Amino acid sequence: MTKSYVGQRIKRNEDPRLLTGQALFVDDVQIPGMLHAAFLRSDYAHARLRGVDVTKALKREGVVAIYTARDMGDDWKPGPPLVSPPATVENVVFHSRTQVPLVKDKVRYAGEPIAVVVATSRYIAEDAVDDIVVDLEPLEVVVDLEKALATDSPRVHDDLDSNLAAHLSQEKGNYQAAREKADLVIKRRFYIDRGAAAAMENRGIVAQWDVKSQQLTVWDTTQAPIPIRNGLAARLGLSTHQVRVIAPFVGGGFGPKIMMFYPEEMLIPWLSIQLGRPIKWIEDRRENFFATTQERQQIHDAEMALAKDGKILGIRHSFIHDTGAYDPYGLTIPLNTQSHAMGAYDVPNYFSELKVVFTNRVIVTPVRGAGRPQGIFLVERLLDLAAKELGVDPVEIRKKNFIPANAFPYEHKIIDQAFAPLIFDSGNYLPAMEKAVSMIGYEQFVKEEQPRLRKEGRHVGIAVIPFIETTGVGPYEGARVTVETSGKVSVATGVGTQGQGHFTSFAQVVADQLGVDVRDVHLVTGDTAEFHWGTGTFASRGAVVAGNAVHAAAKAVRAKVLKLASKVLNTPEDELELKDGLVRVADIPQRSISLGELAVLANPLRGAVEPGTEPGLEATDYFGPRYGATAFAVHAMIIEVDPETMMVDIKRFVVVEDCGTMLNPLLVEGQIHGGVSMGIGHSFYEKLHYDENGQLLNASFADYLIPTSMEVPRVEIGHQETPSPLNPIGSKGAGEAGAIPVPALFAQAIENALADYDIEILETPLSPNRLFELVHGKEKE
Amino acid sequence: MSNLIDVTVTVNGKQYERTIEPRLLLSDFLRHELGLTGTHVGCEHGVCGSCTVLLDGKAVRSCLMFAVQAQGHEVMTVEGLGTIEDLHPIQEAFWEAHGLQCGFCTPGILMTLVPFLEENPDPNEEEIREAISGNLCRCTGYQHIVDAVKLATEKMRA
Amino acid sequence: MRIEGEYIFNGPREDVWEIIRDPEVLTKALPGTQSLKQVSESIYEGELFVRVGPVVGSFSGRLEVSNEVHPESLTLTVEGEGKPGFAKGSGDVQFIDRGDGTTLLKYAGEVQIGGKIASVGQRLLDTVSKSMARQGLGAVDEALQARIKAKTGGEQVEYKPPSEVEFAAAVAKDMASEVFSSRWVWLVVALVAVIILAIVFITSFR
Repeated sequence: MTKSYVGQRIKRNEDPRLLTGQALFVDDVQIPGMLHAAFLRSDYAHARLRGVDVTKALKREGVVAIYTARDMGDDWKPGPPLVSPPATVENVVFHSRTQVPLVKDKVRYAGEPIAVVVATSRYIAEDAVDDIVVDLEPLEVVVDLEKALATDSPRVHDDLDSNLAAHLSQEKGNYQAAREKADLVIKRRFYIDRGAAAAMENRGIVAQWDVKSQQLTVWDTTQAPIPIRNGLAARLGLSTHQVRVIAPFVGGGFGPKIMMFYPEEMLIPWLSIQLGRPIKWIEDRRENFFATTQERQQIHDAEMALAKDGKILGIRHSFIHDTGAYDPYGLTIPLNTQSHAMGAYDVPNYFSELKVVFTNRVIVTPVRGAGRPQGIFLVERLLDLAAKELGVDPVEIRKKNFIPANAFPYEHKIIDQAFAPLIFDSGNYLPAMEKAVSMIGYEQFVKEEQPRLRKEGRHVGIAVIPFIETTGVGPYEGARVTVETSGKVSVATGVGTQGQGHFTSFAQVVADQLGVDVRDVHLVTGDTAEFHWGTGTFASRGAVVAGNAVHAAAKAVRAKVLKLASKVLNTPEDELELKDGLVRVADIPQRSISLGELAVLANPLRGAVEPGTEPGLEATDYFGPRYGATAFAVHAMIIEVDPETMMVDIKRFVVVEDCGTMLNPLLVEGQIHGGVSMGIGHSFYEKLHYDENGQLLNASFADYLIPTSMEVPRVEIGHQETPSPLNPIGSKGAGEAGAIPVPALFAQAIENALADYDIEILETPLSPNRLFELVHGKEKE
Repeated sequence: MSNLIDVTVTVNGKQYERTIEPRLLLSDFLRHELGLTGTHVGCEHGVCGSCTVLLDGKAVRSCLMFAVQAQGHEVMTVEGLGTIEDLHPIQEAFWEAHGLQCGFCTPGILMTLVPFLEENPDPNEEEIREAISGNLCRCTGYQHIVDAVKLATEKMRA
Repeated sequence: MRIEGEYIFNGPREDVWEIIRDPEVLTKALPGTQSLKQVSESIYEGELFVRVGPVVGSFSGRLEVSNEVHPESLTLTVEGEGKPGFAKGSGDVQFIDRGDGTTLLKYAGEVQIGGKIASVGQRLLDTVSKSMARQGLGAVDEALQARIKAKTGGEQVEYKPPSEVEFAAAVAKDMASEVFSSRWVWLVVALVAVIILAIVFITSFR
């Protein structure tokens, strides 16, 4: 190998198409004869459905069909549970209640679909939705997490004894014993509220059933096309080969685009078969606030026991996690919270009890971070409070408690989101922390600048938050690499892509193995007709799991190339090199053959093929990690708060990231910038406001404020690379990292900036309004 | 569907005649009537800026306009800016500076920048941030976009 | 959400009480009221049509009057439902004789709002509801003046209700500062719908 692409800041292969409006997104799919769907959704959060009258709507010109749950007959069935705890997990209570395609008897959240109209245009379909008369009997609404667990609470699911969806406790060591020996116990209650993923592209589905070929093609804004294909085939009674799911360019995912199945995802393909017509449904922005999953609400009663030198002896917390009206995603989020509630620290004793509750609100599934920001918020807040109590510097107390570099792999003795033992594969936390502290100029700021500015009456504050992120979990991904007769290379993998740059980072891996130009590697992602084994893009796993599958397949092709070239060039394999699209003899570069010519030779039209060989220069391979790779990062921030308006001005923002070996630092930095931006939103601007009746009160971008270019600061990034020993590339995930510590960072920085007001921040997200209330002594509502 | 209206609109230099419903939004007209799907719709209420196009050279939100209002006007969409083989300097700069990730908001941002850079060919960071503050991007955190705009100004000056 | 406010009618309490109970007057005073029927001694049913800008919506409403203490106070309970969402709630209305020939009407209640109206209009509801109430009650007051004049002077004065357009324009004017500072324009529409409903329930349907 000569020039190495991996590790370089390569610009992206996919960009010219995206920049010129030539990239296909789901809403760009146009098929002759295509019909359009619109949904009638419940205005009530909890109501008995007494009847639906579609008579008037059906009469409207252009309306083709209207379906309610009753019209679906036996095809009406709830979606599949996505992740249920296996029987091997002891003492777990878990009630699986999954979302339904259309409400049959009872509405469980405002926005739940009741009927679907199919018409010749979306305009007409929406007109007809307004013609439908629904008879709903409002029921008492379950919104408050604690009241939801009271014995006299109304129930979201009538067939359950209570709104408890799941209950699980985990223990490491003996917290109680540790507490008794502690010099200091910090005990608080923490509130974390909901935010939205708010990808710029709303969800959408186009389904086309071809009667003659008996083939169903579905274009879906999903992060997981293969599981969707498998699930659709099973639901519709088709073979998996009759169903092709394509996730083309997807305009941002951030988690919710991997919920399986959304009601619309179940319905649109089914309708296409019923009506024998292609059908399109594109979510609008208001629908997105009701019909796309959300995350984050939890209430924690937590405590941390410490020795007087600041060493953590143990952490205990009991928390309630809101899953909304259904729990298709199982325990992923709260288990992630547990996995992160010890942060990057060597915590010998830990007890955690989680309760998941059903409420009359939009379904909860992972949003970038997926339970991790909550865990990090908790442990970092407790440490801040402890540091203050002990009179220790917040940076020092963290350094003191880090898992030391020689302790890896570090086993936590609890289970993670995959129900496997939580093990941190590798890490080197202290140098990264020191790098961040030095980049932000911590010492100088705390000792000189801050006192000087405070004297001028300015409220400036600093924060430093280190954190871990479990990434790159199994089960596996796969890839197929093919050398075309043109000498170009095509790669297919099953994961979908939503802007991460897989077309480029994976191409870099392949280009290195095969000695071709990175621009000559053409990648297909997210099309089940191209590759149909795998799970999807989630849990910061693309670069780790799919990246290593691509690496393995490319290596296998390289072996085939060398074997064939050795024969053709009559030279031992170890004397050959792959460079510039050629295989050549290292010492005699003029003796060479191009990859394209080799590909022709590998697939002869006449003659005999030797037994035991396969045609073509192609290989498929898979990668499944033993367990997830754990990334580490430190965020540091300097802010100024205006005590009159309570607006926060971010003066500096530093990130030191260790996500193992980087395929492309440019793309990693892009991921960090975006994560930080979402983290800022979820810390200080964005909060989904529900009223006591389960009505979402800010369902538009005019009221739900995602950060603009004016709120997001420049992020200064430092890198550290501690390769993961679990995969050949050494990569760890980075997709979610940026968003995870920011709520904790804001809390620490604001407390520091407003030191003279002596407030404690025990909740997130904040807002200028809420901060004003906190400072002026108003309790949590 | 009873009262249809004839419209003539010039888009990217090409004249189109269509008979449409008066309530058809310009964004839907461009995307579905003309097949120019590079213009994206992110919020349908004029906040996100994804659907920004140029109307007689000025940046407008095509989701807040009816197609009939474009009667007799000249519209320019991202498809008119450059081609894969021949990118506009702003597009080139976005490519080089990694100014896009999922690429959904990108066409709207590019179209916002075209008149902005004509008016202000040498903006500072503050001015760039203000110029794109009406375009929401969920992927990039805006930093590489700002860098791309700076790079574009250099390219356009050269 | 909580709605409260007050309004001074330029007329004696007995007349105010009477006019507030007259569906005829109210149908005219509140543009968009398509029908208003008294279905029993204390129950009214009506249709309210709202159109401002591009959004059109119809509410079906049901109003119940209780705790009547003639001519001092009453309680209203309302339920309305339609394309823009739903509203339900109850409130108390007091008629206070100010001793100078004028009457102070005070209203206070809780209303639960859902659907589009709640999800997109929340931020402006409070301001706009007050503005809308003032406009609607103003129209009732004009009707009252006409009636008093007719009674005292014997002359027939025809009450001319404000047109739907004038009504909406007046409200929009009151809202203008709020709306222009927001990122949104068409939300005015949904709001107008809510507020008309709120007026209906709190003050008017009598």
